[in-house]
Amino acid sequence: MLPNFAYIRARSKQEALDNLRSEGAHVHAGGTDLLGCARDGVFKVEKLVSISRLEELEGITGTGDGGLRIGALTTISEIAESPLVQESYPGLAQAAGDVASPQLRNQGTLGGNLCQRPRCWYFRGDFHCAKKGGDLCYAVEGENRYHAIFGGDPCYIVHPSDTAPMLVALGAEVRISGAAGDRTMPLQDFFVLPDQDLSRETVLQPGEIVTEVLLPKAAGIRSSYRKIRERGAWDFALVSVALAVRMNGSAVADARIVLGGVAPVPWRSEAGEKALNGNEPSASVAADVAAATVAGARPLEQNAYKVHLAKGALVESLLAL
Amino acid sequence: MREANYYSRDPVPETPEPKQKQDPWAETKVVGQPLPRVDAYQRLSGAAVYPSDVHLPEMLYGAILRCPHAHARIKSLETTAAEQIPGVRAVLTNSSPGTDIPWQPESDGPASVLFDPVCRFEGEAVAAVAATTPYQAQDALRAMQVDYEVLPAVSTPQDALEPGAPKVHPDGNSVGEPSTYERGDVSAGFEAADVVVEETFQVPFLLHTPMEPHGCVARWEGDKLTLWESTQGVYNVQRQVAAALDLPLSHVRVIGHYVGGGFGSKLAIGKYSLIAALLAKKTARPVKVFLSREETFLCVGNRPGGTMRLKAGAKRDGTLTALDFEALGSGGAYSPYGTGLFDWQIRDLYHCRNVRTKGRSAYINAGEERPMRAPGHPQGSWALEQVLDALAAKLEMDPLKLRLENLTAVSQARGDIPYTSTGFKECLEEGAKAFGWAAARARPAADGPVVRGVGVGGCTWVAGAGGPPSTAIVKYFADGSVNLNMGASDIGTGTKTVMAMVVAEELGVPVERIQIEHADTGTTEFATASGGSKTVPTESPAVRAAALDCREQLLAMAAQDLNISAAELELEAGEVFSTRDPAKRLAVGEISQFRQRRTVVGVGYRGPNPEDKAVCPFAAQFCEVEVNKRTGEVRVLRFLGAHDSGRVMSRLTYDNQVYGGIVMGIGFGLTERRVLDEKQTGKMVNRNWHDYKIPTALDVPADMESLPIEIQDLECNTTGAKGLGEPVTIPTAAAIANAVYDATGVRVTEAPINPTRLLDLLAAHDQRRA
Repeated sequence: MLPNFAYIRARSKQEALDNLRSEGAHVHAGGTDLLGCARDGVFKVEKLVSISRLEELEGITGTGDGGLRIGALTTISEIAESPLVQESYPGLAQAAGDVASPQLRNQGTLGGNLCQRPRCWYFRGDFHCAKKGGDLCYAVEGENRYHAIFGGDPCYIVHPSDTAPMLVALGAEVRISGAAGDRTMPLQDFFVLPDQDLSRETVLQPGEIVTEVLLPKAAGIRSSYRKIRERGAWDFALVSVALAVRMNGSAVADARIVLGGVAPVPWRSEAGEKALNGNEPSASVAADVAAATVAGARPLEQNAYKVHLAKGALVESLLAL
Repeated sequence: MREANYYSRDPVPETPEPKQKQDPWAETKVVGQPLPRVDAYQRLSGAAVYPSDVHLPEMLYGAILRCPHAHARIKSLETTAAEQIPGVRAVLTNSSPGTDIPWQPESDGPASVLFDPVCRFEGEAVAAVAATTPYQAQDALRAMQVDYEVLPAVSTPQDALEPGAPKVHPDGNSVGEPSTYERGDVSAGFEAADVVVEETFQVPFLLHTPMEPHGCVARWEGDKLTLWESTQGVYNVQRQVAAALDLPLSHVRVIGHYVGGGFGSKLAIGKYSLIAALLAKKTARPVKVFLSREETFLCVGNRPGGTMRLKAGAKRDGTLTALDFEALGSGGAYSPYGTGLFDWQIRDLYHCRNVRTKGRSAYINAGEERPMRAPGHPQGSWALEQVLDALAAKLEMDPLKLRLENLTAVSQARGDIPYTSTGFKECLEEGAKAFGWAAARARPAADGPVVRGVGVGGCTWVAGAGGPPSTAIVKYFADGSVNLNMGASDIGTGTKTVMAMVVAEELGVPVERIQIEHADTGTTEFATASGGSKTVPTESPAVRAAALDCREQLLAMAAQDLNISAAELELEAGEVFSTRDPAKRLAVGEISQFRQRRTVVGVGYRGPNPEDKAVCPFAAQFCEVEVNKRTGEVRVLRFLGAHDSGRVMSRLTYDNQVYGGIVMGIGFGLTERRVLDEKQTGKMVNRNWHDYKIPTALDVPADMESLPIEIQDLECNTTGAKGLGEPVTIPTAAAIANAVYDATGVRVTEAPINPTRLLDLLAAHDQRRA
């Protein structure tokens, strides 16, 4: 049952930012996950600040340098169905189309998809885990089939987003607004590992919001997104593979390989990229790239399958380039 | 192994002999037609009032405080703060007068009480409140201060039987001696075998998760209690509530016109039923207690999981020589029926003279089992159908042929009495033909990472005969419209539709002119709960008898007016006419005695089942899957269910049962499992519909086919129908596992099959081959 909270529907970005400064205040966009978290008491919710009226945060438009600007309030459905996205960034259209279910895609926003909290069942459930200020990451000894194989210590959540790995692979930047003004950074740097900060998954400071995502020019880039899950809809990735590759003839000139569902952040594999760059994606190259990509994996008791799965999905994606 | 109580054969008093001769129908006009549901509009438009929709004036909302630990002792419980919350009207704890009620009703398990100071599973009821709004009720629960002594918990039957395991009950965790069954000479059977296969299987605990949560609304008028309960059987609720509260049956009225799914979890009352009644008594207001989704994952039943070992021997020609089966499971903290009926398929489906089974159950710190769509059967089928496939592989024989080599016309588990009918052979043969089995098997193996395979599974179902008691009343009105009165619940399977069709068949009245009163102990006749796939075979003969009684009375009255023998009269479309001279006819409204009486009432009873014969449905299901060997993804491409359930009473509800059962079986095969934090807290980690993964529309094939094998059964009962609702989900998961084996060469013995398991197995398989 939802707790009592104040609700403000901001008329301007400034009003939203002003209202978000207090403790227990949360930005409300699509609300698909926020309301569930509030209901389940995953974190304290005292005030919801809706930004749904801020039209300047909506929509997909081309930028002067041939890239794309996607407002944080753009729905996941709009991204999946956008001809601009489908044509130039097919991997992103695929990733957006793989999110959750049609209803959630219609309601959920890009900003929310990037900022969503982890789905770890200990974090979400009735367990006072380390991420919530307790002493223990229950996943270490517990039911950890869905948990991290990279970068976990001391908290083995996985980043749940489908769009994030793809956007990182595409070299996207994220624009953030806060009381101190705006800042822009590579999306890759937006996410933080638990050993940097156990309590949050992004660099967002209290009172800051994501306003837009900027994609660089897509010319010459091939992208793909492959998500593996236990059921066909309304399920997060066991493992996903986001690929963005610039080709030079039949060889790969510059590759970005980012895995979802394996680490607390979208997990970029520079070792995998290095093994791929300069090579034609043949079966043997794909196998080498896959092996290099998972080389540092440290599976827990129940999730070693993720190593096989990441390799298998990566090989499949590489051979389909 | 003990049989769960809902289909046990309690002795039934003799029902009156029918006055009419009730030969099975030679042909039917209405029965068997694909008619839409009689309540389709109500269900789809929202006009149907489910118990959870009931809203009464002055009604309060009840809520139940639940233990957050898998095992704990309540040291103290302080409710003062809760009582002071505005809107709170009543608080119940184990020190409140009237709460000293034994729990659970009609169980052979260990004794407990409504609010037990020792909580043996997460979600056990600790206290309850009633308040003006649901929010106030929740606030009151949060304001209760409970000091728990958290006790060590045990989460699996294996761990429960280890020496030194935490004790769920003072006497320990064993439910008693293992249940055993034996026929023939198993050792000799294995000695005679040319090939032997032995495998160990594991199946998870599964949850019913019906769409409508469990709960009720309780209202007292003086010393009379009315309950609107989401239930599969209003008379079960009446009996159990009356016993618990020491009330005469006549003072407990239970109404359950609609129920949003049960799958066996709503055959009995819950603590919520009594809590609602007690809160309503205490506050002198109606009280509504409906559980949250999360609560329904913890404390209203599950399908037991466990470990099974099955060894099978066969001759070179495929003849089974021996089956040796052992199972270990758990019915949770209170039920001793952990492995109940796990072995039924092994005992009864295939011809085998030498069979031994053994089932052990242990108590664990988890919610209690409740019957779930074919109790024990899908689990046993997972083992048996896979072992048959493994035998076939070893014999280099088509798995279909191996099954056809081992058919039986008698129920071996019941002392070799014959079945009234068995269409198992036809299910296998005609199903295979319609599915294209031979062609699919002959297809060369695909070269590459994505491979396909086909699988088959057969089944029988222990119940499905139905049986007495049941009483139905048909009231024929002056305008030729009809009222059917019966106690049975329609749990979403189309019971009302089928019964209206039976009345229409006998009285020549269009289904639209039939009104049904049902599932109300105050106004309708006794019926057993709707479960065990027995509702249609139980109720339809009683309804038919009532309609025939009504018809006979009308014809007798008409015969006087027409001055001819009633024996030559026929009733159709509101007219009585002579079959010899159709010119002699009379509109029903013109029958003089009927004009005076205005209604004719027919009463029908369910007669006894045939003696010394078994009435059982049979089925064979076929599927094709696609497996991505790189990712472990399994996609079900198509399914065919060939079912012998006797007469097809209504083609649409029949097909819906088949599709629904297959969907549920796909959940067992591919996606569902209850996950407890076994090594730490014992708490359930996936108690919601996101983490407990029932299949979505994208997980089930668009290509599903229902192929009725309509064998005429002249002996089972007077409508010829056998049960269908449970066999439809028994062999499904095993058929998928067999198809995955056919595709990959990997036998997945642990359900569910998905990348989290299959990838490791595929990798190991590749290593073995390399």
